[in-house]
Amino acid sequence: MTKRVLLAEDELNIVESLSYLLEREGYEIFVETDGRKALQSAMDNVPDVLILDVMLPEMDGYEILRSLRADPRTAQLPILMLTAKGQAEDREMAFKLGADLFITKPFANADITDAVGQLAAGRPG
Amino acid sequence: MADAILGTRIRQRRREIGTTQANLARQIGISASYLNLIEWNKRPIAGSLLHKIANALDLSADSLGGVSERRLLEALTEIAHLPSLEALKIEDGRTSELIGRFPGWARGLAALARSERDATSRAETLSDRLTNDPFLSENVHRMLSRIAAARSASEILNDYPDITPERRDRFNRIIYDEAQALSDVGEALVTYLDKSQDADRVLTPVDEVEAMFVARENHFADIEAAAIQLHDQLTDPQPISRREKAGALTDELLTDLFDKIINGETLLETSAARVRARRALRDYAVGAIIMPMTTFTSRATELRYDIEALADAFSAEVDAVCHRITSLPRGDDMPKFGYLRANAAGTIVEMLKLEGLAIPRYAAACPLWVLYRAQQSPEAVIRQRALFPSGARFVFVARARKQGPTGFGKPRHYITDMIAMTEEDARHTVYAPDPSAPVEEVGPSCRMCPRYTCLHRVEDPLTA
Repeated sequence: MTKRVLLAEDELNIVESLSYLLEREGYEIFVETDGRKALQSAMDNVPDVLILDVMLPEMDGYEILRSLRADPRTAQLPILMLTAKGQAEDREMAFKLGADLFITKPFANADITDAVGQLAAGRPG
Repeated sequence: MADAILGTRIRQRRREIGTTQANLARQIGISASYLNLIEWNKRPIAGSLLHKIANALDLSADSLGGVSERRLLEALTEIAHLPSLEALKIEDGRTSELIGRFPGWARGLAALARSERDATSRAETLSDRLTNDPFLSENVHRMLSRIAAARSASEILNDYPDITPERRDRFNRIIYDEAQALSDVGEALVTYLDKSQDADRVLTPVDEVEAMFVARENHFADIEAAAIQLHDQLTDPQPISRREKAGALTDELLTDLFDKIINGETLLETSAARVRARRALRDYAVGAIIMPMTTFTSRATELRYDIEALADAFSAEVDAVCHRITSLPRGDDMPKFGYLRANAAGTIVEMLKLEGLAIPRYAAACPLWVLYRAQQSPEAVIRQRALFPSGARFVFVARARKQGPTGFGKPRHYITDMIAMTEEDARHTVYAPDPSAPVEEVGPSCRMCPRYTCLHRVEDPLTA
């Protein structure tokens, strides 16, 4: 069955690249560019993997992460945090709030496809 | 203390001109033994004797022990007591002698100390800015995002030779666009860092807008005049509806006025500042429509600046009243207010400064400020008497309010609004503290606070 990936990212050029990459890997991609809508979308139709940017309009990635982990529907949702905020404390915060993997921008495409592959197969880290 | 300089100075000068105590004493009509007591600071002198000695030494009375020497004495005494120099065991008791005997060295030491203080102050400002500056943070983030998009697109072009021509063109375009955007971000950063050499200039769009508001004393007469005409169109008693209506009227009718203000404002140098200024002016106008200044001023005085009572009186929201209260006309009997807003992370997201109150530009404020404690008791108005290391006393009044939609089982988010006033001005308000009310020792922020042993310190000070 085709795995579904929700991509919560507001930088449209990054969306285009990641969508192309992951579609080539056989995933079905859904995109939200607004934090609040991304949260709603993840809860209404739980994907197999969520790629979550931190700096999103309306609601940031940390807030979304917190809400997802607090909801039984999405508490186990595999989440890849994607961000330009690469300080140690940002990473720590992401993992503390329940992210499974954390990748900083700029990234190698292979890192993204590997990470999504791991999360989709249920083998994070 | 000043006389201690005098005696030494007399002795030094006498030796310079090559005369003995006996000769000088005879010249001025006193005994040599008395002159000796004067030179060793055992006897004070003033008046005609001081002038006689000065004349005999071919000096003015002022230059023997005047204002400049007193200032020099104060400066060197301060240096002698610096904690950083404690281990040197500076002979503080000999400072007057140093000034009297070696005035050039004394002036040199004082000048060096001033220079070191100025350099430290600049370093503190720059360090704080580099660590917490939202402009730098935002633009570094933008730069990394641009690089990420360009890199990802270029890797795709490299790794997938079977890509369709349309997609190839698309990714080539992405690389081109992101390179352009990256160039703009780089230029903005370089310009910003170049400007940072001039510490007197405003450096970020936030600074530029803040400077505009400060220069106008947070009062825009043109907007006030326009807003008063629109107040009667607010017919709904609900605060949220009134704010929405005021916002709609502003967007419809006042944008040309904002253009005029912004275009005529020399303090707004960047396009980012002009965008930010437009938002700030819109918020100002919305407040002015809901609370016309003439009526607001008189009601504020009657209600003794009670922010909740004013919110009821104007069917406004408390945070709007907090903004509005900072725009009250300046006058001798009118208290002046500052305003801060902080989110749940403790970040100050908005501020309208109050003269004399040190508010960190980029970092969180002192954790002891009631700005933060208010979130423990949402919707309650909490007052604090704050005593700063400088001795300045302020009264802070803070209230946390819910932000965003909530419901059972959903997380609640709070934001805090705080007004600040001097303790002197607080006497005109309902927030005037009882003289017996406890005073809390606070600082501006941990990085800028000399209360080194504070149990609530979360960061090391920039200087120890």
